[in-house]
Amino acid sequence: MTIYNRILLFGVWICLVLLSVYQPDQAIGNTVLPENIKWLTNTKDPVFASDKAKKGGTFHASILSFPMTFRVIGPDSNGSFRSAILDNQLSLIGIHPNTENIIPELATHWAFGDDKKTMYFKLNKSARWSDGEPVTSDDFLFAVEFMRSKEIVAPWYNDYYTKEIDRVIVYDDHTLAVVATKAQPDLHLRVGLSPIPRHFYGKLDKDFVRKYNWKIVPNTGPYQISDFQKGKYIHFKRKQDWWAKDLHYFKNRFNVDKVVFSVVRDTNILWEYFKKGKEDVFSLVMPDYWHEKSRTPVIENGYVHKIWFFNDTQQSAMGMWLNQDREIFQDRNVRYAFAHAMNIEKVIKNVLRDDYFRLEHGFVGYGRYSNPDIKARRFDLDKVDQYMKASGWSRGPDGLWSKGGKKFSVEVTYSFDEHTPRLVVLKEEAKKAGMELRLQRLDSSATFKKFLEKNHDVAWMGWSTSLRPQFWEHFHSVNAHKSQTNNITNTDDPEMDQLIDAFRNSLEEEERIQLSRKIQSRIHEIGCFVPTFMVPYVRQAYWRWWKLPEVPGTKMSGDLFSPFGSTTGGLLWYDPDLFAETKQAMKAGKTFQPVTIVDETYKMKE
Amino acid sequence: MRLNPLTLKKIRRFRSIRRGYYSLIIFTIMIGISLFAELLINNRALIVYYEGEVYFPTYGQMIPGSFFGLDYEYETNYRQLRKGFQTENSGNWVVMPIVPYGKLETDFKEDTYPPFPPSFQEKHYLGTDNVGRDIVARLVYGFRIAIAFSLILLLINYSIGISIGIAMGYWGGTFDLLFQRIIEIWSNVPFLYVIIIISSIVVPNFMMLVLIMAVFGWIGMTWTMRTVTYKEKEREYILAAKMLGASSFRILFKHLLPNTISIIVTYAPFAVSGGIVALTSLDYLGFGLAPPTPSWGELIQQGWANMNAWWIAISVISSMLITLIVVTFIGEAVREAFDPKLHTTYE
Repeated sequence: MTIYNRILLFGVWICLVLLSVYQPDQAIGNTVLPENIKWLTNTKDPVFASDKAKKGGTFHASILSFPMTFRVIGPDSNGSFRSAILDNQLSLIGIHPNTENIIPELATHWAFGDDKKTMYFKLNKSARWSDGEPVTSDDFLFAVEFMRSKEIVAPWYNDYYTKEIDRVIVYDDHTLAVVATKAQPDLHLRVGLSPIPRHFYGKLDKDFVRKYNWKIVPNTGPYQISDFQKGKYIHFKRKQDWWAKDLHYFKNRFNVDKVVFSVVRDTNILWEYFKKGKEDVFSLVMPDYWHEKSRTPVIENGYVHKIWFFNDTQQSAMGMWLNQDREIFQDRNVRYAFAHAMNIEKVIKNVLRDDYFRLEHGFVGYGRYSNPDIKARRFDLDKVDQYMKASGWSRGPDGLWSKGGKKFSVEVTYSFDEHTPRLVVLKEEAKKAGMELRLQRLDSSATFKKFLEKNHDVAWMGWSTSLRPQFWEHFHSVNAHKSQTNNITNTDDPEMDQLIDAFRNSLEEEERIQLSRKIQSRIHEIGCFVPTFMVPYVRQAYWRWWKLPEVPGTKMSGDLFSPFGSTTGGLLWYDPDLFAETKQAMKAGKTFQPVTIVDETYKMKE
Repeated sequence: MRLNPLTLKKIRRFRSIRRGYYSLIIFTIMIGISLFAELLINNRALIVYYEGEVYFPTYGQMIPGSFFGLDYEYETNYRQLRKGFQTENSGNWVVMPIVPYGKLETDFKEDTYPPFPPSFQEKHYLGTDNVGRDIVARLVYGFRIAIAFSLILLLINYSIGISIGIAMGYWGGTFDLLFQRIIEIWSNVPFLYVIIIISSIVVPNFMMLVLIMAVFGWIGMTWTMRTVTYKEKEREYILAAKMLGASSFRILFKHLLPNTISIIVTYAPFAVSGGIVALTSLDYLGFGLAPPTPSWGELIQQGWANMNAWWIAISVISSMLITLIVVTFIGEAVREAFDPKLHTTYE
């Protein structure tokens, strides 16, 4: 090698090094914090854990099938066990389950930028990964890199982290900013990222999916997987010196030493296991379990307690969505009459054993964003008469309404076999009101396809929920009269469009709340949605040595005995004295008073 | 009408097989009952005597409650009307059918939840299902649908299967070869899955379900008919007919078919029971007729889901058992009656 070549090579090498250090968009550039930053924190909201809680014990839970991978991203990762892993992964900030205020998690302080799309964070200096490494700003920078990389084979995340998150700015090891692509209300829900450990993954390659199938990734939460056997069980162990254990909102939580998830593939078998004491908790939401099957010795002898806890969280918009592109539903009077012809109360009373509640409108449980003044139209034959006659319909010889030779007969499409009894009763009652419902049960994907293509008369379905109401998808005219959109009622109303646009463009919370309520009234006025049921509670059975705080859950609790989860989880604890007492009593044949707790602290007012 | 002495002999032989003969009588009665089910099991009254006039509401348009002086516009609840007349003592009266409940009507009670156990007092002789519908009504109307289904299916299957089968056997050669291959391919389509797929996309109505089943059901008969035709067409009477210049159509349907009738008749009862089972299993799986059509399959499903409501499972399973046994006995007897060998025994 000549000296020339050496110099040339050296030059090339220098250039490469320089290039690799210089990352134009993120790391370097605007690395000086703006001066007028107002740092916020929150340790004032009430805690919801109990100070009587003691550490210790093993909690036995179950999963229906063993996860296909421990990865939480990429192919086959979207199983139900994913949440158990993610629940032990903290984010920058959290949401208080009762007040919905921001609370600290990995960040101690946060601040909002004036542009409404940047949020600044100060990390907790004691925050550690489970392998002892400190959590630094760089881990958040890596999180975005990771989520955007093609190697993880997760197009949805690639897209989301490109379209919603603009960049992460690192100021120093413990100060950073996350910038969203656009100004928006509730910015904190968007930019409160979760870190991903760069020191663990290093450089990603094509092998990612296979390589990390069964790797246990370092986390920041209270538990980590300690042991597992594929197809059988997964054990989680509590970190004895977890860095966050004395934080205001984490104190007295996550008390159980060990959590065992065993695979039980059938609910009936799980019920038997539970009664034998091999499982600690069993869900009793289904009416037949709560009313019938729970009449069993372990419960009647008081070894197992029952709890019925009302929460106050976003309710699925479950009901009947009328397709306004169908000629029959173009008339508002007919839509009103249809709503008055649905005897939802009778279904609740006679089929659902009064266990379900009437949903008053599509956006119940969104806190102040919900309009409490709207009441769903009740079964009322006189009003049906009044509305139908006003639109020129008359009853034919078969008792059905008819107009211009057309009978009132609509198809109701649904997908769950379990819902047939409810619809059968509705059909019989609607006949009294002069309306024929033709029931059509399809496979669930065929059902959804039919709805999205707007080929239905009446869609029987519920939508999933998010923290804030979503109106645009369902009611804006942009999404009407075309397939593959969620506006399955084909609502096309100029006033509604105006309200929704204003709602989407507003960045002021108060204004958004007012608009949200107005939109809900407008939906009620249009009458294209007949709300049916809601289940605003959780019901469980548990062995009596498990204890819960005085108020056993939070507004957002979906499972009172969830061992993990930074928002609502980890409230339970184990009482060894009660355990010994119970075991002794069972051996001696001694019984206790049966206990059924009904907690209505957060029950929605009617 | 004078019957062929051979036919008379067969009928005599059939009647001499007691098991089959009585089964036929029972089966005929069952069909008879189901055809006039509206008169026996109905929420509409048989006769209403009101203000000097007599009404027969069973068939025909519905009569609103206001017609009989009640305060609603929907169909009269005749059970209540009857009670009302009895307490008023105004000389009006109502005659209700033996089971005064409709096939779709839900009957709920205060403070207790269906399924309700059998009760003679309330005239729910076999109890109710999980939405309070009378099980007797569901069974009888369900039977009517199932039997109509399998008879129509039988007719279509046999018309297609027999025509193609005898044509294959009669012409033979390329036509036979071609159809054999087509049938082999066709019979390898897993037809239950195809039906499930079709009915999960569109809910079929009664005739559509029959047609879908027929598309796959005609195959079975072709093989038998083809073989029989091969045998028959070499016989002298066919040759004679050919010599006399009869057309192929005439030979096939006037000479050949009547001589193979014994085979067709012996297969028929088993095809009927096959049809009932097919519809029931589709309904059981939830891919049959749209709810709330009364159906045995749906009742079996309910019985399975509500094991503690024993009356559901027991009623529907015994009805199914009786029907299938009766049909099978008839089938056996017919086969024996048509058997030229006199001493066949069944074990």
